[in-house]
Formats: sequence, C-alpha cells, structure tokens
Amino acid sequence: MRKQLADIKEIDQYLLQEMSPAARLVFQARLLISPALRKQVASQQQVIQLATWLGREEKRSQLDEVFHELMQDEIFNHSITSIFK
Amino acid sequence: MRYQEHQWLEEIYKTTLPTVARMVYQMGGHLEMAKDIFQDAVIIYLEKQNKGTLPAHVSPAAYITGIARICCLRKMKQSGRYTSLENISAEIAIPEDYYGPPPVATPLLSYLKAAGKRCLQLLQAFYYDQHSIKEIADDFHFKSLHSASVQKYKCLEKVRTQLQQSNYAETVS
Repeated sequence: MRKQLADIKEIDQYLLQEMSPAARLVFQARLLISPALRKQVASQQQVIQLATWLGREEKRSQLDEVFHELMQDEIFNHSITSIFK
Repeated sequence: MRYQEHQWLEEIYKTTLPTVARMVYQMGGHLEMAKDIFQDAVIIYLEKQNKGTLPAHVSPAAYITGIARICCLRKMKQSGRYTSLENISAEIAIPEDYYGPPPVATPLLSYLKAAGKRCLQLLQAFYYDQHSIKEIADDFHFKSLHSASVQKYKCLEKVRTQLQQSNYAETVS
C-alpha cells in the first residue's frame, strides 16, 4: 500500500477507535505537534460525517416511499388523518 | 430496498405511527410534524440497532415511541412551547449530530454525488450501514477482501481531497 493510503488507514483506525491504547497515545502526541496531521484528520472526519448524512437522507426517502404507499390505503389513511381532525 | 426491510418498515408504520401521531397531536403538532418525528425516531432506532447499542428487552415500538417523544419535545422546545428535556438517559438520546446542518454546502454535495457516486455509496455502506468489508466485497463485486479494503481507503482519499480543495477554494474566495 502506498504511503498516502497507509496514512489514511492509520487515521481511519484512530477515528474508529481501533488503535491499541499505546498507538493511540503516540498518534495523539503527533496530533499535538502537527497542524498538517490535524487537518487531515478533520477532513477525514468530514468524509465520515458526509457518509452518515447521505445514509440518513437515503433512509428518509425509503421511509417516505413506504408512507406514501400506505397512505393510499383508505383504512390506514383514515386511522392517521382522523387523529388530527 | 430489500424486501424484508420494506416489510418491517410497513409493519412499524402500522403499529407505531398511530401512537406517535396521537402524542404529537396532544402536544399541539400536525400530521406533517408527526410523520417527520416518526421517521427521525425510526432512523435513530435503526442506527442504534446497526451499532448494537439498543437496550435489551425493549420492543421496537416502545423504543421508537420513546425517541419520538424526545424528538417532539425538542421541536416544541425550539418553538418555545415545552422546556423539559432533562433526565434523558444516554440509551434513548438523539445522536449529537442528528439535527446538525449538512456537513458540506449544497453545490459541493451535488458535485460529489455526480463525480464520486460509487465511492460515496461504498463509504456510506461502511460508515453508516456498518457493513463489514466482506459484505462490501460481495455487494460491490470486489475479487477479494483486500481489494475492497484498499478501495475504501482510495475512496476516502478521493473524497477527502475534493473536500480539502473545496475548503481551500472557499478560503481563497
């Protein structure tokens, strides 16, 4: 694996809390002295946040699809809409 | 969508949405709000299920109703109608980032979706759906676990670079 991918893997293990306690301490020490490493970690964390956000968006559209299907059913539709009348 | 998941979602809508809707109505909400709150609660439930952090011996309906109550109180608090959000156990709390803004601006998001769709799908499968590298290798048709694993890091590299370039461009402008 080339150097940059190995660095990405190491940051990934740090963010997923998969490092041994000793390796984590060393990594945290490197973070303290390296603004460049801090920047890489922050960007990688942003990628994970983006993946999470997209996952929630997809789940919401699946739920919307099921809701609209169910609301076609008169009995279900009435059981929900009558609550708000 | 997988058939079993679709069936489960239908069932949970039928058994639990009426309860959540009545609760939202009693708190002064409307149908659209009830639907949104219910969906938030189901999403949070499924995330906790994927991570294995659901409490034991609590039914999905009871858990989703509990989460929905917190989501509803939160919305009402924002509109100044209720203030009590204290004493909520961590087991049933809403994830901190749940109601945060999108992690990237909309134009960049559209670009990323178009330029790196497969990578985003792979990263979503790993980080959000909590799929193992084995499942990812199968779903994305990689020849080996090693190939899937390396591709995950390449995708992280690609999207991370795009985000950094975009952040840099924003700073310069």
